[in-house]
Amino acid sequence: MLKNIYLIKKELLIEYRNNVSLFIITPTVAVLILVFPILSENRFVVDDNFFTINKLLFLIFFTTLFSIRSPLNQKQLTRELNFGNITRKNFFLFKTISEFIIFMPQSIILLVSFSIFTNTGLQNHILYFGISIIFFSLNSIMINLILQMFTSFNNRFVQFILMVPVLMSLSFFIAPIWLGINPNLTNIYLMMYLGITLLVFSYTSWFLERE
Amino acid sequence: MDKNYFSSKNLTLGYGNSIVINNLPLSLDFDKNYEIIGRNGAGKSTLLDFISNNFQGNKFDSAVNLKDLRILQLSSEFTLISNLTLRENCLYFTKNKISLNDINKVLTDYDIYHFESDVIQKFSSGMIKRSELAVAELISPDVLCIDEPLNYLDGLGVELLKKLIIKRNENKQSTILCSQEPLNLFTETWETIDLNA
Repeated sequence: MLKNIYLIKKELLIEYRNNVSLFIITPTVAVLILVFPILSENRFVVDDNFFTINKLLFLIFFTTLFSIRSPLNQKQLTRELNFGNITRKNFFLFKTISEFIIFMPQSIILLVSFSIFTNTGLQNHILYFGISIIFFSLNSIMINLILQMFTSFNNRFVQFILMVPVLMSLSFFIAPIWLGINPNLTNIYLMMYLGITLLVFSYTSWFLERE
Repeated sequence: MDKNYFSSKNLTLGYGNSIVINNLPLSLDFDKNYEIIGRNGAGKSTLLDFISNNFQGNKFDSAVNLKDLRILQLSSEFTLISNLTLRENCLYFTKNKISLNDINKVLTDYDIYHFESDVIQKFSSGMIKRSELAVAELISPDVLCIDEPLNYLDGLGVELLKKLIIKRNENKQSTILCSQEPLNLFTETWETIDLNA
């Protein structure tokens, strides 16, 4: 595991020098968050649930932007992996980890900023909230990588069209948790989410082993 | 010991339904050097891509026997990662297995040591090609495939390429060059694969 840390280091270095994700996406979403409460001022009463659902929509929007920020080119990827004698399995695993390291803090900043600017509180325990974001991030990153690594969709528009429904279906599981259903149901939803995460990961592992 | 690492009696390659190489009998040994020559569109790069596992097309019903060797390709499109520095590229592609001293020594030999902290996207094409040759020397693969080896290289670059080929010959490693005309870069015996025929 540790001997492959160079794969994570490379992804983080590229991200650090890449001016798309941190310097364009984050400010864009931050501006949207700033504009949103101003727009909502025109309403008489804004329900907390309404803000919570919008928070989820912003997360989907942000995740989609994050996913399409640097499409993987199949030909280039194959050549790079062969050049470095890196297996697709290792690449997938460490790319997922590095994407998670990059994405997670940004999504937390986004959600915290949203809560601050719209004055919305948490409707469930912070632990459930945190776990649901971790599962959402992991699943969206893995599904995005699967779509990019094993299909020839390197067009950002096609990626966008494919990613939005996937992210929407992933968000169906966290919406009830964020809206504050009772702890027993929350546990069931989180278990379902864990199952999906394991399913996606095991399917990819099987697919890669088969290759 | 069997020296053969690639053999096919009827190698047919193409993209979609169009065939680029048709029924080519091919056998490659790792103690020999090869030069693939052919006019534009003859399938030189396609063949090189296929040998080095970078081919993304249709191989139809070709029966191919390819051994698991470290085959490295320097194609006409650069492989080094443009957002990383030269040193980071060296460390990445050698999987951190080669010491910095050895990397520095090779970079000095290739006269690119003073650019080691610069990102690749600032390099000229000739510099990238020279850097790729340096990385190839560091990796020291069993088989090195170079597409259009003289492209972008200046006089010193060509000399460095010749030295690399000689060094690989001494280490009993195979090199495959691919160009439109014979280049006469090999000093030892080599075999020509003529795709014009």
